[in-house]
Amino acid sequence: MRAENYQQQSHPPSNQFELNFGPNHPGIEGNYALQVEVEGDVIVKARADGGYLHRGFEKLMEQRLWIQNISLVPRICVPDPSPMEVCYSMAIEEISGIEVPERAQWIRVLQLELSRIAAHLFTFGGHAATTGMYTPMYWGVADRDLILDLFEEFTGGRIYSIYNLPGGVRRELPDGFLDKVSEVIDYIESRLPEYDNLFFRNAVFIKRAKGVGVLTQEKSLEMGVTGPNLRATGLAFDLRRDDPYLVYDKLDFEVVVEEAGDAWARTLVRRQELLQSIRIVRQVVAALPDIGGELRAPIPNPLAWRVPAGESYARVESSKGELAYFVVSNGGEKPWRVHVRGPSAMHAVQVLEELVTGGRVEDVAQTMFSLDACPPEVDR
Amino acid sequence: MNLSQFEAWLADIDHRIAGVEVTASNLNKRRNRVDLPADKLVLFLEAVKGEASFVHLSAISCVDWIDDGEFELVYHLWSYELNQLISAHIRVSRDPGEYQSIYDLYRPAGFFERDIHEMYGLYFHGAPDMEKFILTEWNGIPPMRKEFDSEEFVEQNFSWQEYNPEWLKELVAEGGGVVIPCEEQRFSRSVATDHGIDQQHSNWSGCDVSSKLCRIDSKYRGGD
Repeated sequence: MRAENYQQQSHPPSNQFELNFGPNHPGIEGNYALQVEVEGDVIVKARADGGYLHRGFEKLMEQRLWIQNISLVPRICVPDPSPMEVCYSMAIEEISGIEVPERAQWIRVLQLELSRIAAHLFTFGGHAATTGMYTPMYWGVADRDLILDLFEEFTGGRIYSIYNLPGGVRRELPDGFLDKVSEVIDYIESRLPEYDNLFFRNAVFIKRAKGVGVLTQEKSLEMGVTGPNLRATGLAFDLRRDDPYLVYDKLDFEVVVEEAGDAWARTLVRRQELLQSIRIVRQVVAALPDIGGELRAPIPNPLAWRVPAGESYARVESSKGELAYFVVSNGGEKPWRVHVRGPSAMHAVQVLEELVTGGRVEDVAQTMFSLDACPPEVDR
Repeated sequence: MNLSQFEAWLADIDHRIAGVEVTASNLNKRRNRVDLPADKLVLFLEAVKGEASFVHLSAISCVDWIDDGEFELVYHLWSYELNQLISAHIRVSRDPGEYQSIYDLYRPAGFFERDIHEMYGLYFHGAPDMEKFILTEWNGIPPMRKEFDSEEFVEQNFSWQEYNPEWLKELVAEGGGVVIPCEEQRFSRSVATDHGIDQQHSNWSGCDVSSKLCRIDSKYRGGD
């Protein structure tokens, strides 16, 4: 923030102070700030301050070809980029009536679930760090790296895969790749009990997270919270099951639910979703060898592609919640409008402001990280 | 309300609220489109939330139709009971660009309306917070409006620089550093064969990096 934009409170009570959390803060992935007013240790007012990661993606996308935007969209959420490109591709396929071949749909599911595991491991590591436990952070980041290695071999990119096209996926899986996936998945599953002992059953963490940042189901619905944060309040809703896309309706998995709605419950939901994602990946690995066919449907020359006029609202369940792309075409060779509805736009702004108000200063980081906010999704 | 009741409810809505038109409805794909006049939106939202359980406002999207002189606002609503999405479309004039807030019906609207005001300059009366959020340093016209040309902005505010550093000159002198046409790039199967790089691209062959890239590529492509 520049000095001229700083507005000093005119007559603050002598016991109130203003405190800036961020924009660089371990309590959140990426740069994001929270300005809080404290009375002693109690927060009386909080205000989210975003924009540090604004790169104008929605405007940029209006000035690029449909196909060029594939390389822009994953950058909107760094920890979990794959749902972005899948969702954008799904929106274009919907408008132009392209049917994605089955094999490509299964490969996309594999990509999405690996990305979800990586994102949850990252969040879990970061969350441990906010509680003052640094070993789980190293573990989480190191194990996530194994998935990034898979992505490197699979798609060519560790983080931003840029692997999807409207109509399908770019390349065939490398030889022996599914065996490697199984190996990594088995390894991560074998690590989970160790995580439990180190972190999820750790008395320090339970004491710090229980009862912090409580979100009731009523409040979540009222404030538009989605994803694991909503499921932690007892509502079993998952777009993969309730608004199914790709081949999720052929897969067997459970929608994980916790009742308490606090930071502890949200963490447990993510912990159990790791297991569900592992289940899904195993099913995909078992099914993929028998699913033949094309990798992508034929599309017009992508450099001169005029997507027919129309609009589409595509939604996927990312690791943070409901991710949606509203894409409007006027029949031109560039999108007329792309609106990205990042799940964090809800729980990183209004919900966060409300949850930390009335709480204590030391719980801010705990609340922020347990909501798994992804600031680049807010700023776009 | 179950799905067949909802279908009947949706079919009947234009009799109850004049001007509401169901322009597309696909219950199997769970997508429904509704077009209505701007002054009927709150009536419609009250009905759709109160009677048909659409409690979740997924997003408000703004589309700038500059040739028509209008903004299109799209309210995406989701029902957790019916698992259906309704996209309600309204159009408001670009000039003066104002509309009413629905914050008292849907709290997520607070964020979206603030965002639209910031990016498009469309003011929402009754919204609790219309302060800038992302573009606190920005004093120009709202950048998502179609008349804002970001390329022109760059031309006016930034200058181009010659970029020809020493290392690039050396590369060019060695025959590298040239743009390779897309049909000759390394992912093209006809060029990067398992046996190495074709003779016509001999300017790559002296470079370690290129042979490494080629190896990776042939590994990815499997046995062919």
